[in-house]
Amino acid sequence: MVLQQLQSLLPSECLITDGPGLRPYETDGLTVIREMPWVVVLPETESQVVAIMRICREQGVSVIARGAGTGLSGGARPHNDGVVLGLSKMNKILHIDVDNRVARVQPGVRNLAISQAAQPHGMYYAPDPSSQIACSIGGNVAENAGGVHCLKYGLTVHNVLGVRVLTSDGDVMEIGGALYDNPGLDMLALLCGSEGMLGIVTEVTVALLPEPEKKSVILAGFRQVTDAGNAVASIIGAGIIPAGMEMMDKLAVEAAEQFAHAGYPLDAAAILIIELDGAAAELDAVTHQVIGHLQACGAYQIDQADDAQTQARLWKGRKSAFPAVGRLSPDYICMDGTIPRHKLAQVLTQIDTLSKAYDLAVANVFHAADGNLHPLILFDANVPGQTDHAMAMGSEILRCCVAAGGTVTGEHGVGVEKLDTMCVQFTAEELDQFFRIKDAMDPSGILNPGKGIPTLTRCGELGGMHVHKGRLPFPELERF
Amino acid sequence: MSGDLSSQFTEVVKNAYAAEQGLVICGHGSKGAWLPEIDLNNTQRLDVTRHSGIQAYQPEELVITARAGTALDEINRVLAAEDQMLACDPPRFQSVKADVMVGDNAGGTLGGVVATGLSGPGRPWSGAVRDAILGVELVNGKGEYLKFGGQVMKNVAGYDVSRLQAGAWGNLGVLASISIRVHPRWQEQVTLVFQMSAEQAQKKCLRLAQQNLPLQGTCWQGGVLYLRLAGHASGVAGAKLALGGETMQQTVDGSFWSDLRDHRVDFFQPKDDVQKIWRLVVPSAAPLPGAWLSSEDLLIEWGGGLRWLRHADEAAVKAHAKSVGGWCWAKGEQMPIDAVQGRYMNELKRAFDPKNIFRSAMSLQHAD
Repeated sequence: MVLQQLQSLLPSECLITDGPGLRPYETDGLTVIREMPWVVVLPETESQVVAIMRICREQGVSVIARGAGTGLSGGARPHNDGVVLGLSKMNKILHIDVDNRVARVQPGVRNLAISQAAQPHGMYYAPDPSSQIACSIGGNVAENAGGVHCLKYGLTVHNVLGVRVLTSDGDVMEIGGALYDNPGLDMLALLCGSEGMLGIVTEVTVALLPEPEKKSVILAGFRQVTDAGNAVASIIGAGIIPAGMEMMDKLAVEAAEQFAHAGYPLDAAAILIIELDGAAAELDAVTHQVIGHLQACGAYQIDQADDAQTQARLWKGRKSAFPAVGRLSPDYICMDGTIPRHKLAQVLTQIDTLSKAYDLAVANVFHAADGNLHPLILFDANVPGQTDHAMAMGSEILRCCVAAGGTVTGEHGVGVEKLDTMCVQFTAEELDQFFRIKDAMDPSGILNPGKGIPTLTRCGELGGMHVHKGRLPFPELERF
Repeated sequence: MSGDLSSQFTEVVKNAYAAEQGLVICGHGSKGAWLPEIDLNNTQRLDVTRHSGIQAYQPEELVITARAGTALDEINRVLAAEDQMLACDPPRFQSVKADVMVGDNAGGTLGGVVATGLSGPGRPWSGAVRDAILGVELVNGKGEYLKFGGQVMKNVAGYDVSRLQAGAWGNLGVLASISIRVHPRWQEQVTLVFQMSAEQAQKKCLRLAQQNLPLQGTCWQGGVLYLRLAGHASGVAGAKLALGGETMQQTVDGSFWSDLRDHRVDFFQPKDDVQKIWRLVVPSAAPLPGAWLSSEDLLIEWGGGLRWLRHADEAAVKAHAKSVGGWCWAKGEQMPIDAVQGRYMNELKRAFDPKNIFRSAMSLQHAD
């Protein structure tokens, strides 16, 4: 029935129902979890999306929105009885509005393509998740994507000014636009990071910024991880907001250096890569200041680059850290906790202890400016039980992040990957509040079910239920 | 007096929930004049101002956590001592509507800053109140004490309930604790002054916004364009040299922007003939009102994106705002809410406040 309706609605190239064609959609960037979708639809227009939604709502079929499939938490993981709504064919840049400094684009437009389209006007779109060459702006909105420049330029939520969104009830809303504020509840903020569970974004208006006049990149090597951490605090404490500030530990440096030959010091316990940008008039002064802080905090090697070629080399190691670590081990999983910066040394020590206890190596890559830690746990999926072992260790790392006052996910989203750790971070009442928000926006419950927010039953079964002041929440519910 | 009254709040709300009695959440009342009239029958006031005090502040973490009743003045004072500030630079108004609000007639609370979501002159460059929010703790309409977000910059665990509170005008809960991002204080601030028409000023502002400049405020009124340059001293000096214009005297410079932000400049003073001043949020490049408005009755901020119009003809102002793709609002008026969006906003309110305990004067119902 649903299939027939979809067939009569969509041209054949927009509908995939056969096995081999469905294969690319069985997973997203979280490749350890796979499931074949029942059917994939690839609409080309908003009216097709509206019609697909109507069919699915009437028949009670779930709808899993998907952008480029680069998400790292399984947010676009399909269901074997659900429809994957791929938005990759809706990939037009509708308008670059130079005067209002915004771009209006369809959800399937790639992140980097926006900056490329704005470049002739001397402007760009600031959030740059590492997958920016492939990931789509619709997916960025769904996950509230970050990147290496968030401390200064913000996340997706700070750079998206408007969306057109379709609800499961079939309403199309135009929220925000080229405006600096809007009346009523900030549904735009609510939609950012909602993982396709509250609505389907069919158009996005993003802010464009003038390209920085000049950049400066600094590499600093430290003999102690704590010294590198102190340098980060010292720079920010002095009132300097770098465009980017990345930290890598010894194992990550070794892997990256072998892979990219960036000139990183192999004897360093940790390195920092700092990017400063802005008007030429102030950049020299700020660069000088930052180098002073690095020296005072014990950096034994400092390289500074003004030219684009050397800057690219210094960044190359960091940007290839993940594939480089991938060469050290058959498999790895990338965690995504965020911690207050001053807890860095404490959490890194805990990770080191866990690494020994689980006998799994960990390479740490850290968006130091905003406290976003990416421990890469190395393992071999061919060794029976080791995948689960690595996942269990990952969960323990995230518990450490929560205990340190941080969060289980900084920029990758919850998806299916972090459902269990959500039980650690939130109480039953808080999770219930999330569910009521979901019901308010998606009363039929067909949008990406089973993602983002764990059920109380799941948390109860895990034994991870957060008990507040000794009172078990929802005592009336059965636990088994 | 400062202290933790959060358990009192949950009790009050639980009782109100059981009795289905309305609650009116009150801070200092500094923005009371902006609220429409509200029926206070069968409602109880919930004064949050004594729930105050800074809970956590480490300058190098760039975040401050304080109870919602903490005075904005205190937050600003504590931040200034560490050479930091709230980048969203929220306005500090005086209470004028004591029948709705109680308190010390002071300049607003942190909770009020978040609940109203009003940002200062630097909004296009330094972000809005909602952009700075990192976490909130609140009591929902069932009397449950809930924590969302946290103190870290990046956090995508669960729906963004924290930022949803900005501009919610107390519709969703009693804000108890707020973590808000702070910013290093500007090393240097200079105001440049240019004599020009509104049209020339708009063109100039649009052009400057496309360049790398430490712009932190624009204001055009009465044939004069004021540009605030602020940030690192060498960047400000370079931009000043490049832009020319007259430099405003240092002594008046700082207070000019806070007077503008807090509506103490002449433009916002009551006039006998036309009382109403409309706040228009429009695309920066949107056409100016044109001949039907005397230029004396127009003040433009945010590089063109925020316009204040003094005009008696409500219909004409609303039609103009709509025609240029924006919206408008005036003191004591309901904000315009789209019919479809209003439906979802009310569903969201029900999700937090199922028995409509929180009687905010700012309605979420559809209004033109």
